[in-house]
Amino acid sequence: MTRKYELVYVVSPEASDDQVTDLHNQIDAIVQRFSGTSIEKTDNWGRRRLAYEIGRHKEGTYVLEVINGTGELMKEIDRRIKVTDLIIRHLVVRVDETQAVIERTKAARSATSQRRRVARGLPAERQPGEGQRGDADDDRDDRFDMGNERGMDR
Amino acid sequence: MNGRKSFGAKKGGRGGTTQGKDGQRRPMFRRRKVCKFCSDKIDDINYKDAKLLLPFVPERAKILPRRISGTCALHQRKLRVALMRARQLALIPYTAE
Repeated sequence: MTRKYELVYVVSPEASDDQVTDLHNQIDAIVQRFSGTSIEKTDNWGRRRLAYEIGRHKEGTYVLEVINGTGELMKEIDRRIKVTDLIIRHLVVRVDETQAVIERTKAARSATSQRRRVARGLPAERQPGEGQRGDADDDRDDRFDMGNERGMDR
Repeated sequence: MNGRKSFGAKKGGRGGTTQGKDGQRRPMFRRRKVCKFCSDKIDDINYKDAKLLLPFVPERAKILPRRISGTCALHQRKLRVALMRARQLALIPYTAE
């Protein structure tokens, strides 16, 4: 039975790009060793400032791997990462269940809205240019200007 | 209001009334707080989305309480988990110096 996991690790800023790819290949090799497991997605976030110092590092290269695997596989990866000095921080999270829940709530919400719209005699889908404010989905920016307290309770 | 902490003037304050100039008591205006995640329909409170989480960690980097932010119980629980994961990855701070 495979489950979906997310692995994020922070590579020391001293590491070169080659070393970062090498780490990815090492993890890939472990994943290949197990049967029926795969890396679904790899995402290099690049170099970011750390919110606090880890060791004496102030920066780090973040890499996200979405892995379809088993508990044993993640245990092995976790063990290997722990002995790798180049990786200064890592986090493994199981995501398949939460993603299923999110999907379900989304589906339920759109079903409700479609049912209500049809009941009001409107087409099931939202038409462009409809509603008071544009759909907030795309322009999230307005929600982050909360340096002042008032922004909080909109 | 005298003697009490003067939080009353702020949004998050508890004071129900305030003393007018002429000594009359009138209800204080306070906008109703709504859960940001409910109103914006954000289902996924993700630990990777530091931009989303940052407003909930004020200066001292403590988690903003529900009482102030107006987040509903369900979303505050999810938010807390996300914040704690993000902290581990040094995306948001544990504390400010």
